[in-house]
Amino acid sequence: MRATLTRPGLCRVEQIMGTAITLDLADDLPLATLRELADEVFAWMREVDARFSTYKPDSEVCRFDRGEVLLSEASADLRYVLETCADLWGATDGFFDAYATGRLDPSGYVKGWAAQVASDRLVAAGAVNHCVNAGGDVRVRGLSPSGEPWRIGIRHPWDAMAACLVLSGTDLAVATSGVYERGRHVLDPRRGAPASGLRSVTVVGTDLGVADAYATAALAMGTPGLNWLARLDDHTHAAITDNARQHHSVDLPLTD
Amino acid sequence: MRRALLAITGLAASTTALVVFKGSPGTSQVAQNLPTAQPVNPSGAGTDPGALADAPGTDPAGGTPTSSESAKPSTSPKPGKTTARPSGTRTTKAPSAPRTTTKAPQSTTRRVTGNGFENEYGYVQVQIVVSGNRIVEAVALSLPSGGESDIHSGDVRNRYDGRGGEVVQKQNGNLNTVSGATETSNSYKQSLRSAIEQAF
Repeated sequence: MRATLTRPGLCRVEQIMGTAITLDLADDLPLATLRELADEVFAWMREVDARFSTYKPDSEVCRFDRGEVLLSEASADLRYVLETCADLWGATDGFFDAYATGRLDPSGYVKGWAAQVASDRLVAAGAVNHCVNAGGDVRVRGLSPSGEPWRIGIRHPWDAMAACLVLSGTDLAVATSGVYERGRHVLDPRRGAPASGLRSVTVVGTDLGVADAYATAALAMGTPGLNWLARLDDHTHAAITDNARQHHSVDLPLTD
Repeated sequence: MRRALLAITGLAASTTALVVFKGSPGTSQVAQNLPTAQPVNPSGAGTDPGALADAPGTDPAGGTPTSSESAKPSTSPKPGKTTARPSGTRTTKAPSAPRTTTKAPQSTTRRVTGNGFENEYGYVQVQIVVSGNRIVEAVALSLPSGGESDIHSGDVRNRYDGRGGEVVQKQNGNLNTVSGATETSNSYKQSLRSAIEQAF
């Protein structure tokens, strides 16, 4: 627990989408520039929340779901999200299903996608060293404020204050789906029942929205998800079973 | 007049800078967010942080009303340490003379326990450790242990013997961030807030 008073950059946290969004800008830029970049990131996250929240009856997603907005009238972002969710449904054998609850709920993709877009925009704006953490979905780029690659803990599924694995990298999207925070909220869309067998699944790739969807899909598959994860191209994973065993790809970017 | 302005600006900057911890990430996120999250909204999922800015008694941290942030400290003389007191009881008296770069008194370490809060999944209680007038640590005394998922599936155990896997270990050490299932942190925030209110 050190108060970091000598680091470059800026760190800011806001509560959006019902969870904490943390932005860590590690570039040694003028403070005014850093604040402007942070303002833009959080404005974007709030905009996504307003448009894609399933808890806000006037969000575009809810209006689309009620048939008040036609696909042809939907925003480019909503159409992109719907198309991607359809692709992910195919790529996950139907286990990532934005309609698993009986109504449109693309949240399993949207949060990671929003953070990914924020990170892409930061890179385009020249802030190439940063970490965006949207409620546990993490996108890191470049180096941390200490000048080292970012160190990302995977939360221990039985101990909120501990990590069970530590990853390190300069260009990683790390998404974790688990049943420990909100209970068995992930449904197996084929049975309509909560998934079982896996307690937590982490997928590492380069697109946070896709990684998040894959993690959610594997969790919904239950133990057979372990084999599905092992067959994924361009992604690595770590999964922890209900009986406290962990499995991970051999090329997972682990560190001590 | 200029001196007062400088003092107020410095106070605002250091108040925000102070409350940023690096370390245990679960706690740091909440801790960072707290001082400006003035009114605790019990149903606060999806709370718009903008709404918090209008809270009465917000510290004169005018630059960052909706969030807490730590920024690269400049070399300008700013008060090194102030309390993380979130309320505005400390007004603009601007005691500029003594508070330049001197360190806060580090003599006393106190532990202050926040009220416990019940949420859907269990009981949450937070304790903070205060050294001088800085929070140096926040620990969860009680967290929900896992909701429905504590129920092990006998089926799975029978079908799957864990071969090839390894027992889950705990690893600690310096982390920049943590990936985990999405959490709703309102109970934690409430308990942490009550601990801070008692401490200062």
